[in-house]
Amino acid sequence: MSVKSSSGLFTRVGEILKDDSNRSSLLLLPVTVFELVFFVVPMLYLLRISLYEQTSQGAFKEGTWTLSTYADVITSGYIQDLMWFTFKFAIISTAISVAIGVFYAYAIWRAEQKLRMLLLFGVVLPLLTTLVVKLYAGVLLLSPGGAINEVLISTGIRSEPIQLMNNFLGVLIGQLYITVPYSVLAIYSVLSTMDWEIVEAARDLGANRVRSFYEVVLPEIVPGIAVASVISFAWGIGAYSSPAILGTARQTTFALEVESLMLSEFNWPAAAALSLIMLLVVLVSIIVLFRFLDSRGGETDYV
Amino acid sequence: MFKREQIETAAFRIGYITLVVMLLLPLVIIISTSITESSYLSFPPKEISLQWYQKFLESDQWLTAMKNSLITSTGTMLLSTTLGVLAALGVEGSRGKLSTYLVPLVLLPLLIPAVVTAVTLLTFYSKLGIQQSYLGIILAHSLWATPLVFFIMQSVFARFDWSLRDAGLDLGASRIRAFWEVVLPGVRNGIFASMLIAFIISLQEFIMALFLSGFDTRTVPVLAYISLREILDPLVSVVSTVMIGAAVIIVIGASLAIGLNQLSKNL
Repeated sequence: MSVKSSSGLFTRVGEILKDDSNRSSLLLLPVTVFELVFFVVPMLYLLRISLYEQTSQGAFKEGTWTLSTYADVITSGYIQDLMWFTFKFAIISTAISVAIGVFYAYAIWRAEQKLRMLLLFGVVLPLLTTLVVKLYAGVLLLSPGGAINEVLISTGIRSEPIQLMNNFLGVLIGQLYITVPYSVLAIYSVLSTMDWEIVEAARDLGANRVRSFYEVVLPEIVPGIAVASVISFAWGIGAYSSPAILGTARQTTFALEVESLMLSEFNWPAAAALSLIMLLVVLVSIIVLFRFLDSRGGETDYV
Repeated sequence: MFKREQIETAAFRIGYITLVVMLLLPLVIIISTSITESSYLSFPPKEISLQWYQKFLESDQWLTAMKNSLITSTGTMLLSTTLGVLAALGVEGSRGKLSTYLVPLVLLPLLIPAVVTAVTLLTFYSKLGIQQSYLGIILAHSLWATPLVFFIMQSVFARFDWSLRDAGLDLGASRIRAFWEVVLPGVRNGIFASMLIAFIISLQEFIMALFLSGFDTRTVPVLAYISLREILDPLVSVVSTVMIGAAVIIVIGASLAIGLNQLSKNL
C-alpha cells in the first residue's frame, strides 16, 4: 500500500519535472521538500491533534477521534467574546495602519532624494527591530511615569498622568508600531512604479489635489493596499506581544489564549483547534478581501 | 486657492514629519535610557554612565542568549539563503507547474500568525524529538526568511541580463561554470543583501523562538521579553540598544549592496 502510493507520488513528481524544457525545476526541489516537511506536514499533524480527545493528564489521549473540542471551543461564551474582540481589534488596527501607510508611502514617493532616504529609513529600521524592543519603547513612552506623561506634567498641561497603557489604546499603539512599517512598504513598492506625470495631467485638467489623489493615485495602488491590509490583518488576528505587554486581561486575544491553553493548561487539542480556527479566520478574510477588491477594481476599470 | 494649497502642503509636511518622528523617537529614547547612571529608568537620563553596559558584559545569562542568537541567526541565514536563491533561480528558468504551486506555498508562512506556526511546530518537534534545539528554531525562522530571500533574489534575477549567461554557454562553458563565472558576479550584491535580511529576521524574531526555545537555547529577544514582563531594568535598554544597533548595521549594509529604495520594495 505504502509502496504503491509512494511510487504514485514519485511518478507525479516526475511528470511535473518533465513538464519543463530545462531542468530548472530541480532547483525547486530543496525548497519544496523543506516546505512540505516543516510546514505542510506539521499543519496536518496539528489538525490531527485537534481531533484527539482532551484529557486532564498530559497533552491528549492517543488513538482517539472526536470533534468535541471544536464544539467546546465554538460554544464557549468566553472564547466567543475573545474571538469577537480579536476580530474587532484586527479590523480597527488594519484600517488605521493602511490609512497611515497610504499617507506615508505617498510622502516617500513625492520626497526628494535625501528626505526619501530618511523616510524610508524611518520604516525599514523599525521593521527590522524586534517586536520586544518596540513594545519596550511603548512602555517607556506610555507608562504613567513614562516620557509622554513626564512632558505633560512638567510643562503643566496635566496635573495627573493620563492612562495610555494597560488599556485598548496602549495595545493599539503598540500594534500599529508593528504593522505600519509593513503597510508603508507594501504600498510604496506599488506606488514607486507609477509616473508622477499622470497626476500632473489630472491636475492640469483641473482636478484639485484631493480629487487627483482619489481618482488617479488610489486606483493604481489597490494591489499595495490589499497586501498591506492582509499583512496588518494577519498580525492583528495573531496579536500576541502587544496585548501581553501593553494590555490587561480585558485585551486577551486569540493568540494569548492559545498560549495559555498550550503552555499552562497543556490542553493540546483545544490549543490546536483554536489555532486552526484562527488560521481559518485569516485565510477566509484574505479571500473575502481580494474578492471585494477585485469587484471594486472591475468597476473602476469601466468608469 | 493659492492659500489653500499652502495650507495643504504645510499639513502634509507636518503629517509625515510627525510620523517619522513617532517611528524613530522611541528607539532614540531606548538608547538614551541605556546610558543612565540610576538603577531605575528615567528619560532623559540625569547622568550619563556606561555602567549598565559593563553589567551586561558580566552577565552570563545575557551572554548565553547572545551566543544562542548568533547561532540560530547564522543557521537561518545559511539555510534560507540556500533554499531561497535556488528557488528564485528555479522559478526564473521554469514556467512549469511546480513553480505556480510553489510560490504561494513559500509565501504562506508569512501570512499565518506566528503563534499558530509556533504551536504547530512545537507539537511536531515533540514528535521528532527536536524541541528546544537550535535546529528547531533555525527551521522555524527559515519558514519566514526563505520567502524574503526568494523575493529579493527573484527581482535581482529578473534584472540580470541572462543573454550574458547564454553567451557563456555558447562559448562552451558548462552550466555550472557559466553560473559561477558569469551569473554569480552579477548577482553577488543581491545574495549579500538577502543573507543580511535572513540573518536579521532570525535575530529579531521572538514569538516562535519563545515557544520553541528552552532554558539553554533562548535567544536575546526571548530573554528580553521575559525580563520585560518581570521587572524593568536598564539592562533591557542595553540589550535593546544592541539589537537596534544590529538593525542599523544591517540596513546600511543591505542598502550599500542593493540600495535602500530597492531593499524597501523587496521587504
